[in-house]
Amino acid sequence: MAEAISVNNITKTFPGVLANDRVSMEIEKGEIRAIVGENGAGKTTLMKILYGLYRPDSGDIRVKGEIVKLSSARDAISKGIGMVHQHFMLVPSFTLAQNIVLGVEPHKRVFIDEKALIEKVQRISDQYNLDVNVNKLTLNASVGEQQRAEILKALYRGADILILDEPTAVLTDIETKELFSMLRGLAKQGKTILFISHKLREVLEISDNTTVMRQGKVVGTVRTCETDDCELAEMMVGRETIGGRIRETPENREKDVVLNIENLSVLNSRDLLAVKNINLELHSGEILGIAGVDGNGQEEFVEALMGLRPALTGKISIDGQEVQEFSTRGIRESGVAYIPSDRYRSGVAVDAAIWENLITSEYYNKPYTNGMSLMMREINNLSDSLVKKFQVSTPGINVKAGNLSGGNIQRVIAGRELGLDKAKIVIASQPTRGIDISGTEAIRQMLVDYADRGAGVLLLSADLDEIIALSDRIIVFYNGKIYNAGFWYEGIRQVVGQLMTGGEGGCNAEDNAQTC
Amino acid sequence: MQKTTRKPVNSFFKKIFVEAGTQVANYAIIFLISILIGALVIFLSGKDPIAAYKALWIGAFGNGLKFADTLDRSTVMILAGVAGALAFRTNVTNLGLEGQLYMGAFAAAWVGFSIHGLPSYVHIPLCLIAGCLGGAIWTLPVIYLKLRWNITELVTTLMMNYIGIRFTEYLIAFPFKDPTATLAGSPVLDASARLPKLMQGSTLNIGFIIAIAVAIFVYWFLFKSKTGYEMRMVGLNKDFAAASGIPVNRSYILAMTMSGAIVGLGGAIMITGFFGRFLGSFSSGYGWDGMMIALLAQNHPLGVLPASLFYGALANGALAMQSATGVPQTAVVMVKGSIMFFVTVTVFVPYIRRRLEKWVA
Repeated sequence: MAEAISVNNITKTFPGVLANDRVSMEIEKGEIRAIVGENGAGKTTLMKILYGLYRPDSGDIRVKGEIVKLSSARDAISKGIGMVHQHFMLVPSFTLAQNIVLGVEPHKRVFIDEKALIEKVQRISDQYNLDVNVNKLTLNASVGEQQRAEILKALYRGADILILDEPTAVLTDIETKELFSMLRGLAKQGKTILFISHKLREVLEISDNTTVMRQGKVVGTVRTCETDDCELAEMMVGRETIGGRIRETPENREKDVVLNIENLSVLNSRDLLAVKNINLELHSGEILGIAGVDGNGQEEFVEALMGLRPALTGKISIDGQEVQEFSTRGIRESGVAYIPSDRYRSGVAVDAAIWENLITSEYYNKPYTNGMSLMMREINNLSDSLVKKFQVSTPGINVKAGNLSGGNIQRVIAGRELGLDKAKIVIASQPTRGIDISGTEAIRQMLVDYADRGAGVLLLSADLDEIIALSDRIIVFYNGKIYNAGFWYEGIRQVVGQLMTGGEGGCNAEDNAQTC
Repeated sequence: MQKTTRKPVNSFFKKIFVEAGTQVANYAIIFLISILIGALVIFLSGKDPIAAYKALWIGAFGNGLKFADTLDRSTVMILAGVAGALAFRTNVTNLGLEGQLYMGAFAAAWVGFSIHGLPSYVHIPLCLIAGCLGGAIWTLPVIYLKLRWNITELVTTLMMNYIGIRFTEYLIAFPFKDPTATLAGSPVLDASARLPKLMQGSTLNIGFIIAIAVAIFVYWFLFKSKTGYEMRMVGLNKDFAAASGIPVNRSYILAMTMSGAIVGLGGAIMITGFFGRFLGSFSSGYGWDGMMIALLAQNHPLGVLPASLFYGALANGALAMQSATGVPQTAVVMVKGSIMFFVTVTVFVPYIRRRLEKWVA
């Protein structure tokens, strides 16, 4: 078969991150290719390069055998590459047909030819057997229908190569089945499909070949009918821990429960159940690692713990006291320190000075206020000592946080949350994401110290190496539920990887959906 | 040792110098260009721009009396500007200053004309408090809609303007109509409710001093007080404030009501200090000016003071310019508009900073 698209030695760096590292792959015409990997494996970066949204630092792209330069989505479309984004780009008040042709409407002189428009869209819809009611208003269309409209939009513009970025993330099971049968139909008609996912079951069901990416590199490409989810999971998460274990699990595990969660359910921002009736105990002196692919409920779980998102049902107790109705401040005063995952969104105010970022849990206590005014001498002393203790590299505490590097911002956050040695529970979400080695080591050491002093530490990380290097016990979030991987042991990584990608049953080699 | 510590200090001062210099230069250029645009318009309409600007200057600052009148004109602008600065700095988009100004003004007028026999030192504070309450109460529906259904205040405050202005118009047209007056207006306030004058022959009154005191208070409140710190953190990053345990809703309520109260006080001072009664459409857009002034002052309560003085001078000078040279007041609107345009665009800041840094280096 003829080659549809290939990339050769693509490298792309962002400040501090090697997002794609000499990535090469070839995809044939009519193929359904799945690209899988953990968060941050570089899948989305690669797709954006193929769609002309990013430019690679080096390497080249060939479409139908010919080297192309893609410097915009327009270039990509003109080469027959279409993209269906995870978040739809549709105007709600337009009909689906109007959205499909938006920007390339058929017209009679200066007027849009509505009749020809509908006919054309209907013809394409019928040709590819995509069941779309073209006259429906977009805001009345179901999610599945909107997605089909997105696919039609790409086809209408002449796409032969379709890129779908986690297309099933927004779909129900039935809609997913429909999508898959449509994709098979499209492939039969000679369209090439690139499908990004981290749900292995779906990948095994739909794709001809599967490419696994990890830490910006291609780990390998396998024929889907010859593999199984165990093998894919192992390729995704790797075999060995890089950097090794830095935590010495204490001999005598303490039994005091500092945090007890019973039957907790939480809704996400779209009012769907994100956390499904979970039970969990966190012990004093323990580092509990929470692994999971992003979007499996762990963010909502943490937000519920912090009082930032209401608990739908269930109880959260700190040292025996129920706190699920408490405000965020009340929860913090019960002894919880919180390092949020997105440090720029909720970890700091970048336009506020360092001292302003350091005092958020102390400014209303004596001696930092007299009830009315801020007591600047005490605040300055506190800020200076935290900056020193946590080795924030800055000319002074009046510098805006936004002028610091990511690692130094994280040191500011760590200083605020951990500097006063008050916490009984530390919730650290992605505490070392994107920061330098010395900063990473310092923050990991702090978490270990906290646990050694008897605090309970909840460690959430997209970096499985970090979880395995630090945790005494590991649980996995999958589809809103937690799965227990147990206490740390030498080979726990495989189990965690399987739970992350498949939930309960783990992997099952017999489970393969396709036969060769 | 000495050498290593000296260098950062030097570069620190250099940075401050560059920043301050940039700001001043930035504003100077904006004003200059805007004045030139105004001059061009005046010139194109066949009038002499230099004579017009001279008349404007004399009208605003020509002698002590005129200067005092300019200060009086800027009084309400200071309060509206501070109200805007407080709101915008705390992430509250209060576009309802004009409506709150009217409600505050009417509340003060009502206390002034319907309560009799009080000594001044009781009656005046009562009027001013009523003004604050009037402005603050007018923000309550907005707050309710925001907290209950998350309806953006950008729209609701804007709509409340029209309701407030028409509602007070209704009040003076029917329930509180003064039958003896030719203009639609409320009865005249008792003398005990009138603000004492500061200068013979000028309308300048103690309201001006109150306005400055409020600006200084709001500066202290925002930058030195505990609650102001909370509100600024909410303004800088709401998600961060929430995650840190700062009460975000309380901050919103306080910022919105304080903003309404301050501009309501401005309305009260206009009525008790200048008009002596509530008149329909008495405000020539001071609430809107307040937003522009806040923008010009980069939402700093003390920056509002010079910005208001400038606006007050333009307003008073424009009247003099029109009567002396026949150039219509709208030429000044042109200048104001241009300034707002350039301040908003602020294309000059990075450009000049780069040039200055090169020059200093």
